[in-house]
Amino acid sequence: MEMESARKTFLTEAAELLEEMEGALLSLEGSVDNKELINVLFRSAHTIKGSAGLIGLDRVMHFTHKVENVLERLRQNELYVSDELIGIMLKCKDHIAALVQLSCNADEELPVDMLTEGELLHDRLAPYLETAINIAPANPAPEECSKAPCYPEPVQDTPPSTGASNWHLSLRFGKDVLRDGMDPLSFINYLSRYGDITCLTTLYNNLPDAEEMDPESCYLSFEVSFHSDFSKQEIEDVFEFVRESSVIRIIPPHSAVQTYVSLIDELKEDKWKLGDILVKSGAITQRELDEALKKQQIQPSDEKPYLGDILIKEGIVKREVVEAALDKQGKLRGKTSAEEGKTIRVDAVKLDSLINLVGELVIASGGIRQHAQTVKDGTLSKSSMLMSRLVNDIRDIAMKMRMVPIAATFNRFQRLVHDTSKDLGKNIELAIKGGETELDRTMIEKITDPLTHIVRNSVDHGIESPDVREAAGKPPKGTITLDAYHDSGSIIIAVTDDGRGLNAEKIWQKALRRGMVDPDKRPHDRELYNLIFEPGFSTNEEVTNLSGRGVGMDVVRRNIEMMRGFVQINTVEGKSTQILIHLPLTLSIIDGFMVGISGAFYIIPLDMVVKCFILNEETQRLAGDRGYFDFRGKIIPYINLSSVFNGNGGGRHSDNMVVVQYAGQSVAFAVDRLYGDVQVVIKSLGKMYKDLQGISGATILGDGTVAMILDVPGIIKTVQTSGKKE
Amino acid sequence: MAKKIMVVDDSATLREVVKATLVKAGYDVLEAVDGKDALKKIAGQKINLIICDVNMPNMDGITFLKEIKLQAAHKFVPIIMLTTESQEAKKQEGKAAGAKAWVVKPFKPETMLAAVEKLILP
Amino acid sequence: MMVNIDRNRSTHRLKVEGEMTIVNAIEMKNALLDGLKDCSEVEVDLSNVSDFDTAGLQLLLLLKLTAQKLKKGFRIVAQSESTMRAIKLFQMEEEL
Repeated sequence: MEMESARKTFLTEAAELLEEMEGALLSLEGSVDNKELINVLFRSAHTIKGSAGLIGLDRVMHFTHKVENVLERLRQNELYVSDELIGIMLKCKDHIAALVQLSCNADEELPVDMLTEGELLHDRLAPYLETAINIAPANPAPEECSKAPCYPEPVQDTPPSTGASNWHLSLRFGKDVLRDGMDPLSFINYLSRYGDITCLTTLYNNLPDAEEMDPESCYLSFEVSFHSDFSKQEIEDVFEFVRESSVIRIIPPHSAVQTYVSLIDELKEDKWKLGDILVKSGAITQRELDEALKKQQIQPSDEKPYLGDILIKEGIVKREVVEAALDKQGKLRGKTSAEEGKTIRVDAVKLDSLINLVGELVIASGGIRQHAQTVKDGTLSKSSMLMSRLVNDIRDIAMKMRMVPIAATFNRFQRLVHDTSKDLGKNIELAIKGGETELDRTMIEKITDPLTHIVRNSVDHGIESPDVREAAGKPPKGTITLDAYHDSGSIIIAVTDDGRGLNAEKIWQKALRRGMVDPDKRPHDRELYNLIFEPGFSTNEEVTNLSGRGVGMDVVRRNIEMMRGFVQINTVEGKSTQILIHLPLTLSIIDGFMVGISGAFYIIPLDMVVKCFILNEETQRLAGDRGYFDFRGKIIPYINLSSVFNGNGGGRHSDNMVVVQYAGQSVAFAVDRLYGDVQVVIKSLGKMYKDLQGISGATILGDGTVAMILDVPGIIKTVQTSGKKE
Repeated sequence: MAKKIMVVDDSATLREVVKATLVKAGYDVLEAVDGKDALKKIAGQKINLIICDVNMPNMDGITFLKEIKLQAAHKFVPIIMLTTESQEAKKQEGKAAGAKAWVVKPFKPETMLAAVEKLILP
Repeated sequence: MMVNIDRNRSTHRLKVEGEMTIVNAIEMKNALLDGLKDCSEVEVDLSNVSDFDTAGLQLLLLLKLTAQKLKKGFRIVAQSESTMRAIKLFQMEEEL
């Protein structure tokens, strides 16, 4: 029997190695730090441990493993050689020798004196091991050492799956697998030992034309229908060696889903962790869990997505299995936690129609209130007031229902940053904060594009290449931070990078070249920075294919302004750039200030209104002639809205003034009448009117009349550009 | 024709056990004590698989792997490296050097056989 | 010579000798595509193929698809044990 002969070989080998160890230990005594000797020691112990384990001498293996760990720490300079340590090591060596002798001659229990000696040495080694355990948690527990997974026997503690079942395997082998010596053919051949391959489709649509085809690359992928009674873990292990280079998806048979659910139900363990429950039931493998946990770990501590959501999203496990596990988890905890199980999923379309109806309700109740005031009926007034309040509450709750955390949107950028930074040879980390901040769903959809552009810009222009960073005394790895938070009635999304910052001088020069600024009046740096949002502006000398030619930042600003938000930029040259996106809390319902112009109703978003008052005729005419107006000692543009919207200069004089402020810019509007604040539901004007100047939307008033919502940012912009032209 | 496997490890015990297991399964097995020895022995031979320790005297496993990847005749040969749980860094180094399969020491003979059979057809 | 090409008729007969694997994939690709030149049809004789792997199978596929693109015939006329086993495992009997 070959084991017998192997034992004999081991006996001789171990004797040689132990002798070597003793020699090394003795030479080490007195010499301070001899790397070579420590290496010899380590290697000897390592080999003894490995060989002992191989032929089943577990006692030798376990003890030598401890010794090896201490030696490893010596090798890593976590410990230093001392006479005391050498003394202990010599004793350990003797003990190993004794164990080797004993184990080889008989399999019975150790004599008592050996056991006590072993424990004594263990205690003496302990202080040298303590931190080693903390530092290297990867050290295996002894009993796990000998339990390396073996093949085709169903391991007992994994539950059997249902009898008749077809697994589906989707195997996308990596391009380099053939070069790595990994042949898909062998893996599939090996797979056939675990069950019947009922159908296998070889996909070769990625195979390029003859000229481009690299015969050493792998272009094939496979879809496999597989009939097997083995567990998901066992099937996954077949592809262990290609898991990193390939995409391997293992979808359990449909019948297995039920099995997992009932297995989860039957679990007796008091394990609380969702992942453990799922692994235990065989629904996911340890590896899949580890990968999902890693994805979760990327997030900062308080904004982690739920593990279950990650697993479902990756298609690793069916929702009902996760739900069963969550249910089980709740039961195991002895109490159903308040949040879990109390959420329901609602079709977004249904929610949208609810919001629309609530909008109509707000309008209708406004109508009733208005009517109650006109007819001067006390009871009706009271009821309508109460109803208005309730309707407002319903509106608030309905709006909240549509709020979703921004985390998912933020997380999408991990990939973008990872890929683009790689393309550019940069090393960039994306940090995510405030992922729990909630935004209106429609707003999230609209913010993704501008945000993508800003993040890309940071990757491309903001963060420098690692060598440039190091030369500037920064860590080679750049950081882009995405953050979201509430700030006085609006939501702020901040994109910050610790890159090179903006160079005011460069922007100034470029603006001069482009003729965008008056060469005699160099504005404040802060205003210069805002120029990057102007159409056709780019500060990067070389145009990369990533963020293009500076087209885009202007589009970014436009998109954000369409959401009634604005962009701000803070930068410290050489250090950082921060772009702040200010957004309103919601898109569809706003508090507005109603004014009348030429007999029509217009709404100005209330949060932009600074002041309204009546102007005497003289001042008003003066302002009208000059086109500006003195407001609190500041000169601000003056616009007669009736001339804007009527074109013919306005038939009647407008003596009511509304001063609005937006993104630090104030403008005075002259209007015919002031009506006061109203709550309005914004209706889009439809594609036909999308190019309409000065109007951003419309609303229907309580009595059914249509009012236009003023596009204040748009009007201010028009004023600014026309001012520049003059 | 039986497939040929090269086992490189400084432990004679390990080599003996692995060889016995693989021969029984119908493979031809060559042995070498370290990287240098292995390079010498595989020269001019068609090898189907290499099993190699990462921690050896003379020429260690990583250097050996890099050497193999430079040889036109052997660069595509699948390689199983032998590591221990505590040598995660070494394992990563080995993967980077081209050994994409591994078996953790100490192992059961059938674990080794399973790894071999995943990689090469009988 | 890893591929013997019989160019006597308008149908070329390509007889592969020895291994057809990743090891000689680059040369094999050139040789096979060379056999496709100046003919209306190729017959592939795999009976002497000793070793055959995924790289070899990919090359057969490439040859077939290239032949189709050029409106030329493609036929496997003889197989060896190793090619048969691989083609069976990949369930490509119908495709090749």
